[in-house]
Amino acid sequence: MRRPAAPSRRLALAATLLLGLAARRAVAVPPARVVSLNPSLTAMVLALGARDRLVGVDDFSARQEPEVASLPRVGGLYNPSLEAVVALRPDLVLLVPSAEQRDFRERLAALGIRVLALDPLRFDEVLAALERVGEVLGRADAARARAGAERRALELARELTAGLPRPRVVLVLQRDPLYVAGGGSFIDEMIEAAGGRNLGAAFAEPYPRVAEEWLIAAAPERILDSSSEPGAARAFWSRWPSLPALTQHGVVVLPAGLVTLPGPWLDRALAALVRAIHGVELALPADDAPAPRAAPPPKAAP
Amino acid sequence: MRVLTRRRLAGVLGVLALLLGLALVFGLGVGPSGLAPGDVLRALFGHEGGPAADIVLRVRLPRVALAALVGASLSVAGVLFQALLRNALADPYVLGVSGGAALGGILVLGFGSALGLGYGAVPPAAFAGAVITTLLLFLVSGFQGRLSPTTLLLTGVVFNAFASAAIVFVASLAGLTEGASIFLWLIGNLSAARADVAGFVAAFLVLGLACALPLARRLDLLALGEESALQLGVDVERVRRVLLLATSLLVGAAVSVAGLVGFVGLIVPHLLRLVLGPDHRLLLPASALGGASFLVLCDTLARSLLPGRELPVGAITALAGGPLFLWLLRREQARRLAA
Repeated sequence: MRRPAAPSRRLALAATLLLGLAARRAVAVPPARVVSLNPSLTAMVLALGARDRLVGVDDFSARQEPEVASLPRVGGLYNPSLEAVVALRPDLVLLVPSAEQRDFRERLAALGIRVLALDPLRFDEVLAALERVGEVLGRADAARARAGAERRALELARELTAGLPRPRVVLVLQRDPLYVAGGGSFIDEMIEAAGGRNLGAAFAEPYPRVAEEWLIAAAPERILDSSSEPGAARAFWSRWPSLPALTQHGVVVLPAGLVTLPGPWLDRALAALVRAIHGVELALPADDAPAPRAAPPPKAAP
Repeated sequence: MRVLTRRRLAGVLGVLALLLGLALVFGLGVGPSGLAPGDVLRALFGHEGGPAADIVLRVRLPRVALAALVGASLSVAGVLFQALLRNALADPYVLGVSGGAALGGILVLGFGSALGLGYGAVPPAAFAGAVITTLLLFLVSGFQGRLSPTTLLLTGVVFNAFASAAIVFVASLAGLTEGASIFLWLIGNLSAARADVAGFVAAFLVLGLACALPLARRLDLLALGEESALQLGVDVERVRRVLLLATSLLVGAAVSVAGLVGFVGLIVPHLLRLVLGPDHRLLLPASALGGASFLVLCDTLARSLLPGRELPVGAITALAGGPLFLWLLRREQARRLAA
């Protein structure tokens, strides 16, 4: 049996119009009560000087960013609480539509809460996401400035390392099970720009799980350990004495999130990568963006 | 039933030891990085460094050793549970004892650091979890008679569901949900294989076997039923207590390093019982060797099937074990109907 087409089409038209109107209104009035469910999006809001708009964050953001540690929590990356979000009466929820949060987005939308879902993977997409957050929060200029600084840092890093040898690099996201930075992500692009050869690019996925055998056979000259796991990185990797990275400066501990979060500070991430791979400083131009919180410098492994 | 002579014992165990040797060679020789056989041999006997030596001696060797030890422990535990509960479907995983051990381990992983407990406290905690679950199991069974398969399975299902739920709960509380480690723990995985834990699992295996082997004859008598065993002079209570200790040692050690690897204690003892008969003097050591070979093979598949990736070994054993379990269940039911 076929349903009559006309009424439903009219209904759809009306809905579209209404949604369009709602969207336009939302753009016109920047949201004042924002909940962020992802640390990189939280970092963007903070970098744009909009800390006062945040009314709630996920657990990971609260751990990552001291500035928001006192805000109400709404759960983890994998188990956000719909009720906790709704109870904060947000007029905007920022999230990354991962498998866990996809349904969440639809349920929020069904409750009439505005959702901005961003899933940046490539370097350019991170910058676009930052600018999008800026537009929505009414901080388009600050966002453009920050994104510009990130883009300039990428170019500067490329120029600085252009004539240098390109060491073989593995960036470790997690040690056990072993996850590394693969191909096609902003991390991959940044490693290349910082003058390294990302061995993980042999995998098409952005964050592949790999075998320890693979890492040993790939013979990296630099192991950039961003895993934030307890235990000294050098002691961990020294289990395999054939690793070429076991020289004085070959194993570098990067603070968790400094390089791996697709956020507003990729210029600092690039500086850390250039330092880790080549031991030289990337001179970042003075930036008119809001004064950033001092990033902890990457420490060489003990 | 064939009489067990010294010669037969030595012959069967010799063949199984040879099989284990082949499995170990396979496990050392095969892996995602596709080393040539010559490289593997040079790494093993050449005393030279290099990536091949690291891969063979410091990735594959600890892992193969641990797979063998865990496989042996789980198989022997399976034999003991089957004898103790006089039920063909008993196995540490199916009964929920592995789940209890995993819960103990997760409690330490999640909250141990707050109490100043390191990773070294995980195996004792897993052992405690296994003991408590086994005790509960005996409590439910009322320490008497033969449990019907239905009761046994229901008990196991409930224990497992409870343990899984508690593990997820603890993991959420402790913020362990991020990352895939909990999932791997729940499905059984050997990728964390470290040479330093192998000695410890080996010690637990030897202890467990040392408890169980002298009781092998009494296990045979126990199969006749508790009253007959009592009449034949078996101190049933003592046997049960010793074997409770043995199974908990075996399961605790295996689970603390490998998580919930399923069905090993079911597949291996049953295949061997079909071939060798039910004599526990033979079945116990044979299960140790057979279980070791089986898990080494499964784990080699787990890390080689998808080059550069890894499957959790528990996925392979469960794929093999699930169908076998259903077949056993059907056979058991048919036997009950016939009786």
